[in-house]
Amino acid sequence: MNELDIEGICRIDERITGRYRPDVWEQRTAYYLRRDPDSSQVAEVDGRVVGFMLGEVRGGEFGLEEPTGWVEFFGVDPSAREKGVGRRLIEALLGHFRSKGAHVARTMVASQDKEIASFIAAMGFVPAPLTALEKRL
Amino acid sequence: MTSETRYASAVRDEVRTLPKPYHEAIEHWQRHNFPDYPKLAEEWDRFFPKDEPFCLCAKIAEDIPSEIEVGERKGEEKALAPRELPEEAAQHLLTAIKAQASTEFGSIQQHQGTLARAQEPQDHAWALRVMAEELRHGYQMVHLLTSADWSPVTNTKASDMVEEILSMQTGSHLLAAFNLEYDSFLDNVVFAAFIDRVGKYQLTMQKISAYKPYASSMPPMLREEAFHLAAGVIPLRRWVEAAARGDGYITMSDIQRATHKWFGRGLEMFGDERGGQTNVKFGLKDMANREAQDMYIDECQRMYDDLNERYVRARFPKLSRDDAEKAFARIKSGETVDGVGSEDLLRLPDRRFFRRRGEFAYQMVGTHGGAFTDVEKYIAHVLANLPEAYRASIDVKHWADLQRKVTRGETPLKEAINSMPRLARVGGGCPCAKSVRWVQESG
Repeated sequence: MNELDIEGICRIDERITGRYRPDVWEQRTAYYLRRDPDSSQVAEVDGRVVGFMLGEVRGGEFGLEEPTGWVEFFGVDPSAREKGVGRRLIEALLGHFRSKGAHVARTMVASQDKEIASFIAAMGFVPAPLTALEKRL
Repeated sequence: MTSETRYASAVRDEVRTLPKPYHEAIEHWQRHNFPDYPKLAEEWDRFFPKDEPFCLCAKIAEDIPSEIEVGERKGEEKALAPRELPEEAAQHLLTAIKAQASTEFGSIQQHQGTLARAQEPQDHAWALRVMAEELRHGYQMVHLLTSADWSPVTNTKASDMVEEILSMQTGSHLLAAFNLEYDSFLDNVVFAAFIDRVGKYQLTMQKISAYKPYASSMPPMLREEAFHLAAGVIPLRRWVEAAARGDGYITMSDIQRATHKWFGRGLEMFGDERGGQTNVKFGLKDMANREAQDMYIDECQRMYDDLNERYVRARFPKLSRDDAEKAFARIKSGETVDGVGSEDLLRLPDRRFFRRRGEFAYQMVGTHGGAFTDVEKYIAHVLANLPEAYRASIDVKHWADLQRKVTRGETPLKEAINSMPRLARVGGGCPCAKSVRWVQESG
């Protein structure tokens, strides 16, 4: 991924959510580029971004000392779904995570996102022995 | 439960510090040339809260191939010392390292001049970080110069090579792009978008270097360079949107003129379009100059398509995404849509425009590719398309004088190509009253 993919990512987000949020994606993209540009990937068809997956390898969070590949944001253009774009993106990320010393990848999925949960499960992710907790403030 | 590793990242490089005299020389240089550096630490937690604190050090990537990847010696072991390279290759490499060092320190001097004019705190912080990372890249080059024995290809001591680099000022650097003063913060941003992009290409090409210490220096620098390009493109994205709404301080015309100032200098950083094969032969780069330059132009075009699309979107906020994209396509093809035509969008100048080095040096080609035969009309055309403040510079006057002399046959083309305005004294030591040299003997 590089800085010229921002508008393509905005386009996908807009097609999925109905909202154009360039400022949000500029900040997010800049963050992941600073951390490790190769840990985030886009998929292109005919030079057009049709999918993205942002993540990075971190260690030490929540007492998880081992280097962990975190998959944090992803999206595939609705017109490009069912073509293996998501699978190829996650394979690229997992391959890079491995090359950076991670032996585990983690992500979180909102319980109402059945489609995403199904995709993540199909990619071999299983429920972790961790529980996401929250408290409204 | 803990979250003690706030900056945790598994991207680990070997970190090296220069011997004390060199480390202190660079810190001393920073105090004279980059006085805003301490502000970075003050702004870090606000703008980069999850990132590791900045480290002034050399970083060495670990997983670098040990065999030469391109060229005549492909498959042989990479050199670990200059003497293991063919002499001519080592000379090319030394020249490249010194040029790279010059660009890193030079860009900081340029950025510093207009840094305080950033209108947004984030833009200021991002530019500061870019400058600090350029300082680290300069440090990395000094590490390469001082951690190896270069005596097979030069009689100059490492300390004298470092002295020479640290003594350069805007106007005495090796490449023209680093000898131009910035006119405003717009130049900080356009420079990052165009000139740092050339840097990305150079570093990428040298990732395969037959000299392993150099190849190992590239991945950490490239990771940082990725953010430098974002620090150029993201403010530009915001500015074109503001320009489209009519509420910005920076107009499309301002950006276009700054593009005319920098684009040709960026192209010239690749070297003469007809050259570069020697570096490939020696396994120092994986592309010749024209091939890399062509890719660079395509990427710059993509950047401007992206900016123009955002401009059109903001000009027609009621259009859907798909309709705005269609409107952009029509405008790009030459149509006028609701009063917006291609002249309202940003465009890259012709690659032959305002060129002073390379295949197209001193050819009189306009921004749109039209040829000129009258030198005074050409100079007027170039001046009309440059930023007003830059028009008044010594650099532009020097170019115009040479353009006239080359066209009239009074100055040979080769001499004009090698001529740069002498804007600053070359050499000399630290301007600090306490010292005459940057590198102090350790006591």
